[in-house]
Amino acid sequence: MTEEIPIWRIKYYPKNLDQICGQTEIKKALKNIIHQKNFPHLLFIGVEGIGKTTLATLFSKEFLGTEFGANFKLVYANLPLNEEERKQARSEAYVSTSKVGSIAGRRITTPAFIQIKVKPFAQLKVLGASPFKILVVKNFETLGSNQQGFRRLMETYGSNCRMILITTKISSIIDPIVSRCQIFLIHRVKLEHFAKLMSDIANNESLELSDESIEILYKISEGRIFQAIDLLQLSSVSGNKIDKNVIYENAQRFQNDLVRNLLLISLKGDFPKSRELARKILSNYNYTIHELFKLILNEINKLPLSRYARSEMINLIAEADFRALNGRDSDIQISALLSKFCLFSQYL
Amino acid sequence: MSKTVKMPWVEKYRPKSLKEMALPTARVSGQRVKLDEELVDFIKSFFIERRRVNNENAKIREYNKIVIEKEQKEYLQIDVEKAAVLLEGPPGIGKTSIVYALANDLNMEVIETNASDTRTRATLEKKLKETTKSRGIMDFITESKEKLILIDEVDGIYGVQDRGAVPTIIELVQNTQFPIIMCSNEYKTSLQALYNKIRRFEVHPLPKREVLRIAHNILKNENITQLKEEDLELIIERNNGDLRGVINDIQGISQGKLEGDVKEFILSLRRDSLEEIFTLIRDLFHVNSLREARNLTDRSDVDYNFLYKWVNENLPTFIKTNRELVNAYENLSLADEIFGRIRINQYWGLLPYFFDLFAGGVALSRKETPEAKGFQRVVFPRYSTGSYFSVTGSQKDLVEKLNKKYEISQIDFIQNLLPFLKILCGSSRKQLKNISDWLELDAKQKKLLK
Repeated sequence: MTEEIPIWRIKYYPKNLDQICGQTEIKKALKNIIHQKNFPHLLFIGVEGIGKTTLATLFSKEFLGTEFGANFKLVYANLPLNEEERKQARSEAYVSTSKVGSIAGRRITTPAFIQIKVKPFAQLKVLGASPFKILVVKNFETLGSNQQGFRRLMETYGSNCRMILITTKISSIIDPIVSRCQIFLIHRVKLEHFAKLMSDIANNESLELSDESIEILYKISEGRIFQAIDLLQLSSVSGNKIDKNVIYENAQRFQNDLVRNLLLISLKGDFPKSRELARKILSNYNYTIHELFKLILNEINKLPLSRYARSEMINLIAEADFRALNGRDSDIQISALLSKFCLFSQYL
Repeated sequence: MSKTVKMPWVEKYRPKSLKEMALPTARVSGQRVKLDEELVDFIKSFFIERRRVNNENAKIREYNKIVIEKEQKEYLQIDVEKAAVLLEGPPGIGKTSIVYALANDLNMEVIETNASDTRTRATLEKKLKETTKSRGIMDFITESKEKLILIDEVDGIYGVQDRGAVPTIIELVQNTQFPIIMCSNEYKTSLQALYNKIRRFEVHPLPKREVLRIAHNILKNENITQLKEEDLELIIERNNGDLRGVINDIQGISQGKLEGDVKEFILSLRRDSLEEIFTLIRDLFHVNSLREARNLTDRSDVDYNFLYKWVNENLPTFIKTNRELVNAYENLSLADEIFGRIRINQYWGLLPYFFDLFAGGVALSRKETPEAKGFQRVVFPRYSTGSYFSVTGSQKDLVEKLNKKYEISQIDFIQNLLPFLKILCGSSRKQLKNISDWLELDAKQKKLLK
């Protein structure tokens, strides 16, 4: 490409499976699959932001070759249907009595998401010489009870369309699905691979990046490459020399003071407002509920509170986090915590 | 109409006669019919039938007076099919308007009951039976108007205390002295008993050009010229055949400000047809015992998966003090946890605890806050795990531009890339320039990055 891409995470996005940083074993296994030209449904499990989707996409690209465009689809299970699609689902849900066949007059009970986003793709015959199509479903766990609908789908259309399900939470995936898939546990990238990628980028962008800084980058980003690259680019704005102070300084800006505000508002006892803010943080920054709890915990440690108050609040967070682990609606759990903070503020 | 009177346009432009009204198409068991003619026929044949039955009954009455009880004859009833019809169709397409226009044309008086506000058998009976069964003495002396009974939102009857609503309605229909027209929004299996007995007209939304014509008329009448044609079309499209919605939207928009981003405003308008769940939530926070709460949740057909999210969303509306909130949330969060365990381990035996906690436990946490008087706004759960995502028009444009260079989904962009881009562009003008040059952004999209 002749023009310079100003966003580094796009610029350094891997072009093929080999270029993906780290994950040597997984890459080896996937290469093997490509060689054999066959695979069962796959289930990719791993924490957020470590490159599950990148792996799935690039793997599919190599597997399908030139027919990638026609035989590949990526869907987000957590993306709500838009107005048009809902309308379509509604109109398709009832088969008119004027239609011929045993299905006439029936109601189709398939969930709208599957009906609109998955089924048409899975049903359509594979194009070209590829053995089958590949459907990648992201955030599969958010489907909830609709996962049941996938069971039949995976069996009926399995020969035509293989699925790669991506999830962060194996516990919320129902057993019948897990048993139908080959599981890939994806770990965070190792420091050595991470360091190599970072120093390559630094060389390319003529930055001075010490080993210590790389370690700090690794620590802050928790092995999430996109985040690390973002941080690196942000740090490079102020100069070519990147030491740990610059990194820390810029990392602060990612974690803005919204969480602190949230805590302060809830300690003033204003529940509706604090709930609104919590929702904003969760949706805008794509934190999981556990991450948000941890951020709140960090802020509590920074606030000037009595020892008693601090330990009580930490207790409350621990309880809420524990419940969120099992619970299904994180908004309820965060609201419960905030309501407790609101009440607690009366005794401070 | 004087200008100071703020009358809803929907009322103002409600058609007075069937002739001046845009009639929606209707079908009876798949056959297309002319709704106006059918309804007029229905009313006329009803009165013929009523005269016949009343005459017969008068004879029977005379007969019964002279024979012993054993040999007395049963009184005749009007055929149910001739006494009532059901209009079924999406909201706002003119079902109620047809009935009023019809009554006006035939010089009749409409008695309207809204099934969702008189839901118990007793109140339904009280309100309707008097009017249906007996006619006042004065009616025979003075030439009073005939009556037409309109039971609106029949499907709004849901199984709470009004388990007997459908039998009541059928009984009413059997004993009526006046023709009954019922309206309903959707096909409901719980009303099957009703459907079997009476004629059901499926009323379809008006075609777009009809809606457009009516909207133009109104705009002309109200002297509104600022509303652009494309905006009007957008309104109509968004309302999806709901004429009432269109008129309400036009009024809302033209009485508000017409400058600025009208499009965005139109997109933000949304009407809910979820009256049932609204009522349920309101009722839930008025219960006084666990039993009542349980009854409410047991008998409604609202999915509990979904109901407890509504409870969460609307809790602060009904419960005000922090102490009560904590209690309520303690119960709700435990309910959520239990629900999670049920789903993971398939321990469905735990479900009763879940119900009692999220409905009863929460509703009964209200101790200090006085019972809400008047109308409380119930809102849709805006946040539900994982499916909370909205994108504005300008964000959409930005993603489209980016997609030419680099494939990224909307959700990824909003959640992952945009926050970073904002920070990056906020930190240096040079970066902003680079990015906007690369993507060839216009000023509005550039603003989004700042």
